[in-house]
Amino acid sequence: MEIKVKCNCGVENCSEWAILELQGVVESQPSIANQIQGLEIGRLCCSSSSSQVNYTFTVGYHELSGTKVSLKKPLLVLKKNKQEEGSVSNNEVDLEVIGIIRHKILFKNRPKAIISRPQVKDKKASD
Amino acid sequence: MATNKGDINDGGAESFLTLGPDNSVTVRYHPDFGPHSDLILLEVPDDSVLNDLLRGRVTIRGQFDEDAVLCTPSSTYAMKFVGTSNSVFLIPPGKPNLSDPQPNPLVSVLKLAPGNVELVLTAPRLDKLRFLLMQRLYKIDEEDEEDCSSEGLYTWHDLICSIQASDEELREGLKFLSAVEINGFWRIVHPKSVNMILTMVLTNSVLHDWSLDALVEEEVLSVLESDGFNTTIVKHCLETFGTKNENDNSKLWGLDKKRIAVHFAKQVLGSNGGKMRLEIFIEKWMRNVQKGTPFDLNMLEGEVLYETIGAETWIKAFSVADLPLTPDARFSVLFKECAKWAWKDLEPYVRDLRVPGISSEGLLIKYTRRVQPNADAEPIFSAR
Repeated sequence: MEIKVKCNCGVENCSEWAILELQGVVESQPSIANQIQGLEIGRLCCSSSSSQVNYTFTVGYHELSGTKVSLKKPLLVLKKNKQEEGSVSNNEVDLEVIGIIRHKILFKNRPKAIISRPQVKDKKASD
Repeated sequence: MATNKGDINDGGAESFLTLGPDNSVTVRYHPDFGPHSDLILLEVPDDSVLNDLLRGRVTIRGQFDEDAVLCTPSSTYAMKFVGTSNSVFLIPPGKPNLSDPQPNPLVSVLKLAPGNVELVLTAPRLDKLRFLLMQRLYKIDEEDEEDCSSEGLYTWHDLICSIQASDEELREGLKFLSAVEINGFWRIVHPKSVNMILTMVLTNSVLHDWSLDALVEEEVLSVLESDGFNTTIVKHCLETFGTKNENDNSKLWGLDKKRIAVHFAKQVLGSNGGKMRLEIFIEKWMRNVQKGTPFDLNMLEGEVLYETIGAETWIKAFSVADLPLTPDARFSVLFKECAKWAWKDLEPYVRDLRVPGISSEGLLIKYTRRVQPNADAEPIFSAR
């Protein structure tokens, strides 16, 4: 069987996707279970010190620090399409390139626990 | 909500990646967040493959019971899924949804990726090609036979769907097998038919006083066609045993005496395993080969092995072209044939082995045990 890998975007127009990567697992409260669509995960901030650009990701009571990394080997986002009935090829599936990822923001340091309530909520409370 | 994922452009990847100092974004789960198992991340090893992928020149090949391979026009890659224990949040492209009541730009995560597929450059899997094409060897009079089915016959398209190799490697594989395309099917010509046609060409050369260094293609084809031989096959014979010399208008072929000598040596010995006393072989070989051919046994390296039985030397057909292409299978067959090999005897039977990322020394280290009693002695190779 031969499956063609299609690409409608071409070399110039490939949409750029991104990755936020952290060590560990983000969990939601048991009461929310799987209804997490649309819910906030956290706040991502950027700061620079001397020559370095740092990122801080605050999730709940944890603060993670990380950096932006350029991928030595880019990742392509491929989508598997099920063939419609009566299509020309008799494969069941085809593949399409729908995006490229060249950079990610990576958090690999241990999270710092924020003892007091997160800054964001404080600010809101004082509004 | 069947959104076409190619069209998702509200993930906010742009804001995410261009986030500058003293700014922040809110990261949330996309309203469509889910497993999206139809989205796969593919790691691209280099710019050349990336280019091929973005220009739609890449295909995935294999049968359902095989591991899939990814093929560019010239190379073959094994596909390996590598998982990660990290949380890899995938953010779709585009500007974020600005109509949101959030004070910060909103970045939305569509999926948590369990890992990505890695591509590992691999040797094309061509052993199957010989197996398929050996199912029905082309014989000269086959058109006269009753059986006109196309079972066991393969078109180029059939081969692409069955063989895990890039187009370029598949063509090289076909050339290596001396396959020829007849009526749309790729065929290996039966050795007896090859011999018949070659002999006809040589006999006619004498009859018509043709020079074997400059055979005129049209003349050869028309004479043999009038004798009932398919012109495609005759031309294939010229390609197999000669080199084209395109001079002015007429196409000229020069036959390679060495290739012809090797052919007749194999005719004398029969197929793999056929053996006879060396003196008898030489006598028969000399009778077959044309006068004036400076032939010597060195021409037969990679085609024959020698055995000492009692006080006699015997010669045996053993052609490297009939052996498996993958290193482990090749060495297994070699050591089954003979437990110990001196390097000069082994070399012709391993010089064609190619594995990306491993040198020939590396292959020897991996698959053989090397013994060298002292610096002056010749090294001997045996199975690991």
